[in-house]
Amino acid sequence: MSVHRSSDNERFRRRAGETVILFSVGGAKFAIAASAVDEIRDLAGLQKLVLGTLGQKFAKVKQMLERQGQRYFVVDACEHFHLAMARPTRLLVLRHAPAAVTVNAIDCMLELNAMQALPRAFSGEERDWYRGLALINGRVIPVVRPEAFLSKAEVILIEASLRGREAGARAVAGA
Amino acid sequence: MTKRSKAGENFVLFPLGRKRFALCAEQVSELSRPREHGEEEQQTFPHTTRFLTGVLLRRNQIVPVADIAPALIGPEVPERKFYLIVHLSDRSKVTRAAVPVTGECELAEAERLPANGKLPPYVSGLLSLNDEIVEVLDLERLMAAEVRA
Repeated sequence: MSVHRSSDNERFRRRAGETVILFSVGGAKFAIAASAVDEIRDLAGLQKLVLGTLGQKFAKVKQMLERQGQRYFVVDACEHFHLAMARPTRLLVLRHAPAAVTVNAIDCMLELNAMQALPRAFSGEERDWYRGLALINGRVIPVVRPEAFLSKAEVILIEASLRGREAGARAVAGA
Repeated sequence: MTKRSKAGENFVLFPLGRKRFALCAEQVSELSRPREHGEEEQQTFPHTTRFLTGVLLRRNQIVPVADIAPALIGPEVPERKFYLIVHLSDRSKVTRAAVPVTGECELAEAERLPANGKLPPYVSGLLSLNDEIVEVLDLERLMAAEVRA
């Protein structure tokens, strides 16, 4: 493992050895805190998810997973980052909420010692997507904010929508 | 709005295609040649800020690359040969950016003439240099306009 350290204390915030997972999506590389990931698994067991009126708002959520008696909503990382479609092979099950992310590949796990804030010139959605930028083997890698994939509030909204649809379907079946 | 003319200001003149533009010299810190590999190679990651094309790693600092050429001269821009490293003011904080330019730059002392009302708001003045009129750019305004576009 090789981790670059910055000599500029003002620019790079030193971190006490945060472990991150490097993954790739549509040709781009990202890092996520290992503590934010509950499980890395293959794509077995994914079910199609139809969200009705919420479908447009949550276009990046097209699948779900039943895991340990709970529904997990699966975010397509390509759609999240507005990247060209790519064939995912792995699923990162997140810890902060019943949510998961499809990614192309898991590269490695390593220890991060410094992270720089996203330069202020970046003013778009990336301000929400990233916690900061890491320098790993001479490459600038964004460190993602897990909540940006799907927040707890968004999960509650999707759950409520699904419950409404299921109740409607039961009422029709019972009539 | 145009800034008041000042005599004897220093400007960095830089080419974008066939046209030259100017920035206040105090806003420019360095001129750098891009490299294809290693440090100072432009790197990219997903984002949605329109005028930014990536970042440079420069002396262990991450500098955003702001390609203003398409906004100034259209999509047909020759190869960018150098980066001007500039300071940008953002709500009382100063940040840096690398602006790709298509040729060598020149330092010139000149009087800034007021820009007339027909010019875009990001032109903060004009320089009359021999047989050439050069627009002085207000980079912060240019980038803000580009964000709104």
